[in-house]
Amino acid sequence: MNLLTSAFALGLILSLLALGVYISFRIFHFPDITTEGSITLGAAICAVMLVKGIHPIIATVAGFVGGGLAGATTGVLHTKFKLHGLLSGILVMTALYSVNLHVMGKSNVPLLSARTLPSIAEEIGAKFVKTSTRLNFLGWELNQQDFFVVGASFLFVTVVSVLLYFFFRTNLGTAMRATGDNPQMIRALGANVDGMIILGLALSNGLIALSGALLAQYQGFADVQMGIGMVVWGLASVIIGEALVGSQSLGLLITGAIMGSILFRLLVAIALRWGLNPNDLKLITALFVFAALILPNLLRGKMRKAVK
Amino acid sequence: MLEIKNISKTFHPHSVNEVRALQDVSFSMQKGSFVIIIGTNGSGKSTMLNAVAGTFLVDTGRITLSNTDITRWPEHRRATLIGRVFQNPFSGTAPTMSIAENLALASRRGLPRGLGWNLNKDLMDQMRGRIRTLNMGLEDRLNNAIGSLSGGQRQALTLLMASWLKPELLLLDEHTAALDPKSADQVIQLSHEIITRDNLTVLMVTHSMQQAVNLGDRIIMMHRGKLLHDLTGAERKRVRVDDLLSRFEEIRRKELLDPAAAAMLQRNYI
Ligand SMILES: Nc1ncnc2c1ncn2[C@@H]1O[C@H](COP(=O)(O)OP(=O)(O)OP(=O)(O)O)[C@@H](O)[C@H]1O
Ligand SMILES: [Mg+2]
Repeated sequence: MNLLTSAFALGLILSLLALGVYISFRIFHFPDITTEGSITLGAAICAVMLVKGIHPIIATVAGFVGGGLAGATTGVLHTKFKLHGLLSGILVMTALYSVNLHVMGKSNVPLLSARTLPSIAEEIGAKFVKTSTRLNFLGWELNQQDFFVVGASFLFVTVVSVLLYFFFRTNLGTAMRATGDNPQMIRALGANVDGMIILGLALSNGLIALSGALLAQYQGFADVQMGIGMVVWGLASVIIGEALVGSQSLGLLITGAIMGSILFRLLVAIALRWGLNPNDLKLITALFVFAALILPNLLRGKMRKAVK
Repeated sequence: MLEIKNISKTFHPHSVNEVRALQDVSFSMQKGSFVIIIGTNGSGKSTMLNAVAGTFLVDTGRITLSNTDITRWPEHRRATLIGRVFQNPFSGTAPTMSIAENLALASRRGLPRGLGWNLNKDLMDQMRGRIRTLNMGLEDRLNNAIGSLSGGQRQALTLLMASWLKPELLLLDEHTAALDPKSADQVIQLSHEIITRDNLTVLMVTHSMQQAVNLGDRIIMMHRGKLLHDLTGAERKRVRVDDLLSRFEEIRRKELLDPAAAAMLQRNYI
């Protein structure tokens, strides 16, 4: 795959991570660092099952469920045992490191010839287009296989995000959003706030693990280190997305998180192409998130001074 | 209806910050009655309402509502029976969500929340109808975020939300104290309308002696975590703002005595 195509595919796959981070950080205002363990957990569960020859769809769903359990654990630590949110996440993330090693049996599981969702997408694609191996998509020269992998990712992410949008418009989903917005109010209206937080973190980490499962299949391996830095990457995508849509509406914010993830990956790809040392990537992303978080306040302060 | 038996609540027990916010309080009210609680700052009025609402569990005593012992029920479970409006206009609504979404949440107070669609046309029409009665022009702004409304508008909506499904008991904790006089009057007027229309059972805290005298059918005065006066029936009908003020003055004079003498006096007095 060429650099742009792979950045696009990665951005799509990691947009599920961004959606998960959006749920915990933005909807619940919960700084959930479980992410770094649950994305690996999703990848690990999925990879191990694929190697055993289990159908990719089942393996992928299993990854989602695993992440959900991890998120629920963080939620229970926070709500039932009254631990600080950040600490709950750190504990579960740390524990997951060992869990992931146990699941994989070693630190890296290559998928080699295992049947995966991308390979299925390529197979299906090959049935439809038999002629040339290079496609021209909106003036973008594409390898045929890449086209179908990106297309399948796009379809998958679209379906998941539409489902997510509908979920957040149901009675349960609306109560969840209200929990993050004003727990006192929703408790007075009879919702179990603890339950909402546990369920919300399960959903968030489920999506993140789903992202991990797809990532493992896309890159062809699961690695115990692959979660490092993922919270900040997810946050960066969410922040870019918010800047892109500039709105409070649920549908736009979900779309924004996806666009943010893709744009973020494209920016990274371009920066690497320009000679950015890959080792500096996490440092620069952290600086970017830092700047994005403080700049709005700084600007507002400046403007207030200017008004005076 | 509501029956409170010997409840006590001490915050930060056995520490220097120990506060005995409720001391062996007993009190009961009948269905359809409208009780007003007044009292000095820190006398335990909010704590009393919070004890009923389940914000915390009481240390001792029992609370029965509609023949159900709710003493150990968590707050969200009590919400099936209780509607609530807080002092702070920010407390009762979810600011980033729309007026419609907030009301829809209230329309399921205490009911299970599943995967059913949150907003439907019937509900929206119903909302428009009920919001129109507020005369605030909000019926055309159902999709606006509640955070963009004024405190008075938010309290009016919170009141509508708390009473959307008729509650067994409505708790109002100084729900107009944070508003400007005009909005406060508006919200009090609205409270009065809703309470009489639905014949609600109400426990309301207020700092306004005017409200205490004009509203409700019983006045309770709290002091230092205890019920000091309970004005009902003819006595309640006769009471004027000045009478209430003189009772506060009485407390103030007593506070000036030395603590031992005050305690003795209080024992004899109560
Ligand atoms: N959650 C809490 N933790 C610790 N102390 C509390 C808590 N809630 C109330 N108190 C204390 O209990 C006492 C009674 O407080 P409460 O809020 O019930 O008074 P109030 O009568 O409502 O006063 P106000 O008129 O100022 O609203 C006060 O001394 C208060 O500081
Ligand atoms: Mg109070």
